[in-house]
Amino acid sequence: MNIAVCVKRIPKTAEADILIEKDGKDIKKDHLVFTLNDWDGYAVREAVLLKEKHGGTVTVITVGPEESKEVLTRCLAMGADKALRIEEPPSPDGHLIARILFHAVKNESFDLILTGVQAEDDNFGQVGVSLARMLGLPHAAITNHVEIEAGRALARRELEGGIDEVVELKLPAVLTIQTGINEPKYVSLAAILEAEDKEIKEIELAETGLDSAVPLDVTIEQVFFPPVGKAAEILKGNPEEIVSQLTEIIKKKKG
Amino acid sequence: MKVDTKPLVQECRLDLCIQCGTCSGGCPVKFRSPLNMRRLVRENRITSDASEILKRSELWACTTCSTCTLRCPAGVKNVEMIMGLRNILARQGDIPSTLRDALESTLLQGNPWGRFRDRRADWAKDLGVKVAGEAKAETLLYVGCTPSYDPRIQTISKALVRILQKAEIDFVILGKKESCCGNEIRRMGEQTLFKKLVKDNSAQFQKSGCKKMIVVSPHCFNAFRNDYPDMGIQIEHYTQTIARLIETEKLRGAKRLEIRATYQDPCFLGKQNKIFDEPRKILSSIPGLDFVEMDRSRERSLCCEGGGGRMWVEGGTEGVRNGEIRVREALALGANVIATACPFCLLTFEDAAKTAGLSEQIAVKDLTELVTESMEG
Repeated sequence: MNIAVCVKRIPKTAEADILIEKDGKDIKKDHLVFTLNDWDGYAVREAVLLKEKHGGTVTVITVGPEESKEVLTRCLAMGADKALRIEEPPSPDGHLIARILFHAVKNESFDLILTGVQAEDDNFGQVGVSLARMLGLPHAAITNHVEIEAGRALARRELEGGIDEVVELKLPAVLTIQTGINEPKYVSLAAILEAEDKEIKEIELAETGLDSAVPLDVTIEQVFFPPVGKAAEILKGNPEEIVSQLTEIIKKKKG
Repeated sequence: MKVDTKPLVQECRLDLCIQCGTCSGGCPVKFRSPLNMRRLVRENRITSDASEILKRSELWACTTCSTCTLRCPAGVKNVEMIMGLRNILARQGDIPSTLRDALESTLLQGNPWGRFRDRRADWAKDLGVKVAGEAKAETLLYVGCTPSYDPRIQTISKALVRILQKAEIDFVILGKKESCCGNEIRRMGEQTLFKKLVKDNSAQFQKSGCKKMIVVSPHCFNAFRNDYPDMGIQIEHYTQTIARLIETEKLRGAKRLEIRATYQDPCFLGKQNKIFDEPRKILSSIPGLDFVEMDRSRERSLCCEGGGGRMWVEGGTEGVRNGEIRVREALALGANVIATACPFCLLTFEDAAKTAGLSEQIAVKDLTELVTESMEG
């Protein structure tokens, strides 16, 4: 079974100081560290587990600049067999990314295409489902369990309200993978260094057959911090002071 | 997949084992986990395939306190064996998820606590501390991850800064450029990441131009002293620095502290690096302080269970924690303060005192806190 996994390099913003660029259209990223999108990590792990069970190969694909190679290397260290990078600056236009991926995979024979449900940075959550539509393939979004049997995929989807549903899809199919579908393994630095020697295929956008001057469907107008709501009270002081203030508030509310 | 144990047998000298049981007899987690060091040495010695041994979760129970290795009459390197087995597991990716997060954070952010690199020196704001690169000094204060980020342990870093400033010692810190020393990383089994940290940190230290280094945590101190190649920098734990300042009368307690205090020898400072006298000199110099010694002290000090990556491991042990045993031993001596000189001992003991409901009766303090309390009278 041949599986493609579409992955993205994202900046880690948890705990970080978030500053907005002067033009107001993005956050400053030069002080941030970048890594593989969490959802994509689960997707790659799931692909490797399926490969171990059913054989075949795992190909990881990213659309992004030179630096994106590092996440492909990580994926190779996780057990992927082949890697492809399509040169393109980071874009907020998920539809465009899906189109690029579509052109990259349309002539390949993948049985299964996995993406993360969404990316940690922009949270659009549309690349996987858009790609499925373009390829004319069945898809299941927010998949938290998958089994492959006789040319079909049984995918369990996480719905709202704690309900799961199981859908049967004819392969080839596209699944967007939810975190928690598996237990990610630790990727040791030794494995990453070893994977650096593996080949990563790199192509220009034009080589996919797509015109590099495609207009963007989505551009970012403005990014800003949400206004502080009136109901929120930010406690100030050292941890002990904050705890005692908090205790008082809880006592009062408890009545 | 078969896992060959031959390199482990050779490197850790497992064939020298005489099965006397000294290792398992002195192990501080033997009542808390299925870890049986004597059996483990033997099994690794006679098997040609360690794959079944590697499935045992108790391999993560070892705190790498090194009591076994230090007491072994045959010279078996038990702790190196544990680290070797963990290294195989780390290479396979089969490690507890909490350790995985700690290691990934260390690679990305330079600390195992999942915290943002740029916030590393936030604790030093408003303290007038100079940062290498912007200023020069003979001495580098290496702060370490836990003293940089943990709000409880930041008090140690702040107290030490006040002590050094009072004694007019000119020093710099590395600020945001400081990274994890790797002591715990190596003990979690991530040898390659450890090597990278050694390389990056050594370069940072050389770049600072400092000739001396004062280290806050005994764990970092141990790494720099024993696991790093010689960097041409004189490395000191802060207890050595303070003891000397007291001896040369550059530092003096002003206020009497009417307390009875005992001292927990941290494994990585005491038994592993033989720094026993300096902490006691510091305590004895504090006016009013009545110092009492626990029976299990110095080389025989009982491990707090915070080493060897245990700060990042959930569970795996059962029964009464060593921290609680230790706090009760201190209380039995009539002590109202249990002092230590290690962030991990402090956190594990304070936690144990709280969960055992004993925190009203005994306070857990770092030596720097007692020194500043007395100094600032």
